Amino acid sequence: MPIRNTEQAWGSVNKAFHWILALLIIGMGFLGWYMTWLPNAPGKIKIYALHKSIGLTILALVLLRILWRQFDRRPPELPMPQWQHVAARAVHIALYGVMLLMPLSGWLFNSAGNFPLQWFGLFHVPSLTDGENPTLKAIAGITHLILFWVLLVAFILHAGGALKHHFIDRDSTLRRMLPWGIRAEKSPASPTTTTINSAQNSPSTPEVKS
Amino acid sequence: MKNALLFVLAFSLSASASARDWSTDAAASKLGFSGTYQNEKFEGQFKKFDATISFDAADLSKSKFDVNVDVTSINTANEERDGSLKDKEFFDFAKFPKAHFVTTTFRKAADGSIEADGTLTVRDKSKPVTLKVKFSETGDKATLDVDTKLNRLDFDIGSGDWKDTSIIGADVLVHAHLSLTAKAG
Repeated sequence: MPIRNTEQAWGSVNKAFHWILALLIIGMGFLGWYMTWLPNAPGKIKIYALHKSIGLTILALVLLRILWRQFDRRPPELPMPQWQHVAARAVHIALYGVMLLMPLSGWLFNSAGNFPLQWFGLFHVPSLTDGENPTLKAIAGITHLILFWVLLVAFILHAGGALKHHFIDRDSTLRRMLPWGIRAEKSPASPTTTTINSAQNSPSTPEVKS
Repeated sequence: MKNALLFVLAFSLSASASARDWSTDAAASKLGFSGTYQNEKFEGQFKKFDATISFDAADLSKSKFDVNVDVTSINTANEERDGSLKDKEFFDFAKFPKAHFVTTTFRKAADGSIEADGTLTVRDKSKPVTLKVKFSETGDKATLDVDTKLNRLDFDIGSGDWKDTSIIGADVLVHAHLSLTAKAG
């Protein structure tokens, strides 16, 4: 599997970013809700510290991912109705926005609440505010919560869209992002798939067998 | 003339019978502390306390500090933490709204520094505590700085699971700065 993106599929770096972030973000969604219901005890503080550490990790990975995007050309989009291109693009923008703003609003909330912040207990991460700031804390807290719902909607559209492409349209939208590379087609290539390459003016065959 | 002399004599006797009494300027005074939370330092203070200070560097035996602290006035600039501190695992405001410190003896060390031994009562725990005392006097004004290190576990501040010192450190450094004015007479 190539490191960089190809005409047919995402490269291993992009796939790693995609799936590691997917796992971390889904885990954080559950952890974030779970931890708020815990009784006030040292265990709760430790779980919050874990949530913060993972959040900072996500922020760092997203920044690296955006940086990598600048040097690695996206595979051409598969043919689909224009509204789907627009919708997919809007959802991608929303996902990137949330991936950046969710950790930042959490960091701001933590700072304005005057909580300590460390990355897995290994090093101190500085505060974004000068001590306690109840107004900023309230704004950051509400933003963090609203972003969760935006994330949930964007996630459903993103994953739902990918599954729709895979199971209904039977194109390679999902396959070309799968960790183990592009799977061999089990069903014969659909007419849609064939038109991709003519549309892209690509000399390669429609499907790369792996 | 004789009366006047008697008056001076009586005054000096009364002055030597007790050390000089001082009143505290609350606005310019602070009872602060610092601890660690998740290995990071945090600071707090008790906003309300009354200090009865009798102090005379020349006659330490007559000196006395008696301090009542309204523990419900604690502020560590963190809403959630301050909320926890009122609970029964910590200060238990409902049962123990006051803390008290009173000196028993003052000592002057070889290097001239002064230490005060006393008893600190927090919740229902009373323990001996030694303060480092710095008193600096200019006419009717003085400043008093005291420092000590406490172990929060000695006073049941953080019981049950909260004894875990990896979250809240055991050591609490206390620093008080008092701005004083000599009482007349």
